Amino acid sequence: MKWRGMFRAPARTVALGSAVALFALLCALPIVWMLGVSFVGSDGRVGLGNYARLFVGPRERQLMLNSALLGAGASLLATLIGAPLGLLFARSDFPLKRLLRIGLVAPLVIPPYILGLAWIYIGGPVGLMAQLFGHDLLSEWTYSLGGAVVTLGVGFYPLAMLATEAAARRVDGRLEEAALLVAPRRRVLWRITFPLVAPVVAAAALVVFVLAISEFGVPGLLRVNVFTTEVFIAFSALYDFGAATAMAIPLLATALIAGAAAQYVIGERLLVTRRGAGAGAPLFAGRKTIAVVVVLFVIALCALAPILALAREAGHIRRVAAAASGTAIKNSLWLSAVGATTITILGALLGYGRARARTRLRGLADLVMIVIFAAPSTVVGVGLISLWNRPGWGIYGGQAMVVIAYLARFIPVVALILAASVRQVPISFEEAAELSGAGWLRSFIRIVLPQIKTGIAAAWIVAFILAFGELGATILVAPPGESTLPIRTYTLIANAPSAEVAALAVTQVCVGLAPLALLGLFAGEKTKEAASDA
Amino acid sequence: MNSKVFTRICALLAIGLMTDFSACGGRGATGGAGPDSKTDEVTIYVSTDRVFSEPILRAYEQKTGVKVNAVYDTEETKSTGLANRLLAEKNNPQADVFWSNEPVRTLVLKSRGALAPYKSPGADGIPPAFKDPEGYWTGFSARIRVIVYNTNLVKGADAPKSIYDLADPKWKGQIAIADPRFGSTSFHVAALYAELGDEKADEFFRKLKANGVKIAPGNSVVRDLVMKGEVKMGLTDTDDVNVALEDKQPVAMALPDRDGMGAPLMPNMVSLVAGAPRAGAGKKLIDYLLSPEVERDLAKSDAVQIPLRGGVEGPKNIPPINSFKPMTLDYGRAAGRVEDVVKRLQPILDL
Repeated sequence: MKWRGMFRAPARTVALGSAVALFALLCALPIVWMLGVSFVGSDGRVGLGNYARLFVGPRERQLMLNSALLGAGASLLATLIGAPLGLLFARSDFPLKRLLRIGLVAPLVIPPYILGLAWIYIGGPVGLMAQLFGHDLLSEWTYSLGGAVVTLGVGFYPLAMLATEAAARRVDGRLEEAALLVAPRRRVLWRITFPLVAPVVAAAALVVFVLAISEFGVPGLLRVNVFTTEVFIAFSALYDFGAATAMAIPLLATALIAGAAAQYVIGERLLVTRRGAGAGAPLFAGRKTIAVVVVLFVIALCALAPILALAREAGHIRRVAAAASGTAIKNSLWLSAVGATTITILGALLGYGRARARTRLRGLADLVMIVIFAAPSTVVGVGLISLWNRPGWGIYGGQAMVVIAYLARFIPVVALILAASVRQVPISFEEAAELSGAGWLRSFIRIVLPQIKTGIAAAWIVAFILAFGELGATILVAPPGESTLPIRTYTLIANAPSAEVAALAVTQVCVGLAPLALLGLFAGEKTKEAASDA
Repeated sequence: MNSKVFTRICALLAIGLMTDFSACGGRGATGGAGPDSKTDEVTIYVSTDRVFSEPILRAYEQKTGVKVNAVYDTEETKSTGLANRLLAEKNNPQADVFWSNEPVRTLVLKSRGALAPYKSPGADGIPPAFKDPEGYWTGFSARIRVIVYNTNLVKGADAPKSIYDLADPKWKGQIAIADPRFGSTSFHVAALYAELGDEKADEFFRKLKANGVKIAPGNSVVRDLVMKGEVKMGLTDTDDVNVALEDKQPVAMALPDRDGMGAPLMPNMVSLVAGAPRAGAGKKLIDYLLSPEVERDLAKSDAVQIPLRGGVEGPKNIPPINSFKPMTLDYGRAAGRVEDVVKRLQPILDL
């Protein structure tokens, strides 16, 4: 007992300390390095020259406003679509649920730029709608801030959906069952269910906000001026690392404000209900047909429409087959899977540490995660090169750098998602385990992880999809030769006809969806297992 | 996630681990396996479109047995690209050779000390105007900045002859250019400022703005907009237009200002990277890229790039170099104007 007691504390310290150290090395250090570079001017002098132009001009303020509106709009739309779907999946039983879930997740697999292209093929001046109706109906709206909001909102709603479903499965259905005795379903949903999942929904909304404000491809394509353009120009047109990083500060500040606002509104409200998830209350009982119709409508509009528009533009299956590269596909699937697994492991530890932190610094930890996540991918990529490209280290120049790029970019978002999941697990579970003599590690593996397994699955899927589609950082650090599918796609897009572009896009989407479809077919329904976890 | 699912995921990962992971061992231009010896390999960063450059590098591999580790670039508006990678790697270079498809990137890298001088014997026959006097870059196989127009919508005498035609009010809302802050368009606008002077160039772009010019994310998008009839004409590169011509689309190209300032010529540029880990192999690859054989291959391919040396057969659809008036350019001076021009154009074109 004494021997076991000696290692009880150090196991937690070692595990969490290692996760924090890796987070600092992989995620924080590249950003901090680049921030240091931002204080060096193009003439080599240290100073604030790169910051002189920020926030001052009307143009910069307009760009900030556009960026904030784009982020807020996309986040709101994604939540409005995704959150109800997540509740639907968690609280009703209808046929082909697994298959329909895959269909609903599909837009997240489509890279935002490709999604923008697809919507142009539909709503552009000579797109499908213009051809059907004989004149241009939608192009003015397509090429606008509203069009960009819809494109990104539709692309990112699966994040809200997966997060909400994972959170709702943690809510004890007996609360809702009791409420249904005295209140109608709508009231129960609004006054019981939704407040209990709100923090996770807010975390997902924040993730979508950050993804939207740091997105460049869609605003560029749809001719919307946003602040990411300034960062991009500083790199692409001016080759000035310091100025580019300084340009990213307003973006990081916007993310910080959004994160602080989310903390203020949601706070540290207790989410947990009872010891086990239990079965969900049948809030949508008797509505199976409507549920299926709604789901099919969303799939048709948000997933099938853009994919079919791309396929129509591709024209022939031969083009799609020719666009594929076995090596690139294998690399992408393997590296994304390794990256997602490592990200999830570290994210679970960091999320646990954040959720169980008792100091006031826990809110600060959230904000640090958000700011790091908001850092433009090129800033991260250049920072990684600066840190890892050292003579004799042997890591730079290999495929490991691609995985490191994934970790650097996506550990923060997964840690945020899993922190929200861990907060749903009562600490009394661990306290009871400790009283029974279980060490921290045993308690973490045998009690905490099983309680958040749906959240872990959702986090893994999100990490996989984000890693699979990542380009900005990986193109800077990927080794020579056939690397990942997005790199192949974008290097070939450069001078290809739109049919080839569409074929490459369809290939990337199909390859990205395939492992998720396999996982979806394997995974069983959670309700009985969740009940047995109690 | 139940234990069965977990086991299946582990099985999938294990299968992936055991599968011959060819990307780890093989780093060829084609991604295939090759010889392991470091003396038999060379690393090149390529900004010229992959669809055109990859066959050239594959041919070099087959001819010499040297493994070519190639890193390709995206369109300039999709990612910040290889020039930034080269600058970031300057303290511990990974690449031996840099092959660019336009002058700006190369000249920025030269100014930042990322290139090394090498005067290749393969450059014999290339006119001096396309070679750096200090040897930091050598030009070969060029593209031209042209006006692309839709032949169904623009007929006969209305066909554009000068870039000033884009400012003609009869084409209001029917013209497009790629974002002038990036790529070959940034070179083109910088060249215009160097040629016309600031006042005249500012005036030209103000007129374009008043004429409702659409700013597209890239040259290929300009081509697609014209091809689909969303606009009637635009500025782009010869290889972009050729893609549409080969696809039998209703487009044609006009070499602008034949009787005026001439059309801007953009050569490919190849350079040795400063501190290249395999400088000897890099020099040999540069010699090959500057050979008449490569100019001929690039001319025959869909790149339709114009040989700079005489006596090499040019591409179909494109007039030979001695048949039109190219803009007289100091590439260094034009590239040096890019940063300043980008800042001037932002308020003029509301970028």
